[in-house]
Amino acid sequence: MHNSKAHIWFIAPAIILMIIILIFPLFLAGGISFTDYNLGNKTFDWVGLENYDKMFNRKTYVKMIWATATYVIVVVPISVVLGLCAAMLLNSLRFGADIYKTIFFLPVMATLLAMAIAWEFTLHPTLGIVNSFLANGCGGVREFILGFHWLPWVDSQESWYAVACANNMDFPYWLKQKNTAIWTVCFIGIWQAFGFNMVLYLAGLTSIPRELYQAAEMDGAKSTWEQFKLVTWPMLGPTTLFVVTITTIRTFQVFDTIEILTKGGPSKTTYVMMYAIFEKAIQQNLTSIGAAITVVFIGFILVLTFFQRYVIEKRVHY
Amino acid sequence: MEAKQYIGEGWKHAILIIGAIVVMLPFYMMVSMSLKSQQEIQSISGGLIGAQETQTFPVCVKTGYSEETCTMKPYQYNYWFAFEKAPIPRYLMNGVIVTLSIFIIQVLVALPCAYALAKLRFYGREFVFSMVLFCLLIPVHGIALPLYVMLAQAGLVDTYSALILPWTISVFGIFLMRQFFMTVPDELIDAARMDGMGEYAIVWKVMLPTAIPALLAFAIFSVVAHWNDYFWPRMVITGNRDLFTPPLGIREFRGGIDSDEFGPMMASIVTVTVPLIVAFIIAQKRFIEGITLTGMK
Repeated sequence: MHNSKAHIWFIAPAIILMIIILIFPLFLAGGISFTDYNLGNKTFDWVGLENYDKMFNRKTYVKMIWATATYVIVVVPISVVLGLCAAMLLNSLRFGADIYKTIFFLPVMATLLAMAIAWEFTLHPTLGIVNSFLANGCGGVREFILGFHWLPWVDSQESWYAVACANNMDFPYWLKQKNTAIWTVCFIGIWQAFGFNMVLYLAGLTSIPRELYQAAEMDGAKSTWEQFKLVTWPMLGPTTLFVVTITTIRTFQVFDTIEILTKGGPSKTTYVMMYAIFEKAIQQNLTSIGAAITVVFIGFILVLTFFQRYVIEKRVHY
Repeated sequence: MEAKQYIGEGWKHAILIIGAIVVMLPFYMMVSMSLKSQQEIQSISGGLIGAQETQTFPVCVKTGYSEETCTMKPYQYNYWFAFEKAPIPRYLMNGVIVTLSIFIIQVLVALPCAYALAKLRFYGREFVFSMVLFCLLIPVHGIALPLYVMLAQAGLVDTYSALILPWTISVFGIFLMRQFFMTVPDELIDAARMDGMGEYAIVWKVMLPTAIPALLAFAIFSVVAHWNDYFWPRMVITGNRDLFTPPLGIREFRGGIDSDEFGPMMASIVTVTVPLIVAFIIAQKRFIEGITLTGMK
């Protein structure tokens, strides 16, 4: 056994940095959120829960919670399910899986901000290929498929597609319209996230022993769906839990697409928390309210992670 | 049976190809716009690369260049003019400086700590480790505001330090390297001690070389995250163009969206985005491994 004090020098920098950079700011945010402090002020007063009161009662912040919740509730399940579907499809392919894997992973890699701008142009009402693709499809197969005319209850004169065609190609201004902006941002979020989940699921799938499928088949689970229900899904339990948690945490932190594309608008429909913190605290210099949002935000994330680690983790391990 | 399987395979490819087209749409749009002329962009014509007719570009002439200089093919013009208008190499340089500094400091801090947590026995080790585990829960973006207040009080806004400091501690790096060091046999370290090596030498000459694969994955994880990060630079760099990282540069180009020159704007965005994508395509396996590292938690 060695007898040196080396360990002090080894751990000291890490401990000091952890305290200054990670732990102290938690308390600082908590402290500021009970004051009326704004950056640059020399003094401040304690105001108790006033900032929190504003947050849960003022319209802007209620909208913020709605926008954040909508974004998370839409993006997480869809990107997880898409990731799983993509992984299972790729896993069952005879050839070409690597190419798809590369393509689906590209959005994870690419600078999100740049891709957001690329999407902005792709969805641009006059310059974008999406709307020109739609406009050129009026009266054709595209209208039939994307206008949902194949559903028995959709009237082919009244579908959104037919109406837009009839009104001089009045297709949505995806990112500028109150009723489409949040869904468009969600779509970009899903586009960006699902490849990451796919890769994690692919790793999860390879760790399932083949014998389990043979055993399931002997027990009478012949169809793909039955095998999925009996073997794949339960065996992927830990992966799913992890994928859901990490996607939720990342989704909560959405900022880039919002800042560059919608600035929280139109009428605060995409006003997510990270953007609110940035706008209030940095642009409008309302540090204390920004701190209150920060505290709630961190609270959400900590609760989520604890939930994963200590409550569910015990149940999904086989 | 055979035929049925082929049909099944065909369906799968059909679905995946549609998915791939949707995924590739913005990439296509980005590259296409960076190559085409303004007229072709506005009329959505010319396919991927446009007609590439040599022409004189009015905006370029207005900026003060001679007509001769401004006569060229659209793709040449877009990329040439992008570099003329913005200090793109500077942005890329800043990206390299910031990401490398962050990574190097992260390793300098994390490696000795991970070694101590994995291989040295000392009073309070469990406490330090549980502190690491707790800090793993804190998303640095989430505490950006208090960090910003601290940096502002220290007068560090608009400096390289502001870009680098908050990321110098990677608790994930400590955790990862500790897990890795646990698998290194004690005999290796004992032998090194017998040879008279000090603890410092052991960390850098014995442990570091064994950790190269894990370190490489961590490098990719760290570099990709900070190269692409937009939120933090946006917070702490307010106006100084000399400190712009690639994403801030992109944002600046985007300012030109209301002007009538989309080609050069997209060209600059492509230039800034491409290095990482090329690196990814060359070393896919490593990248996927590195970026999904968090999957090991």
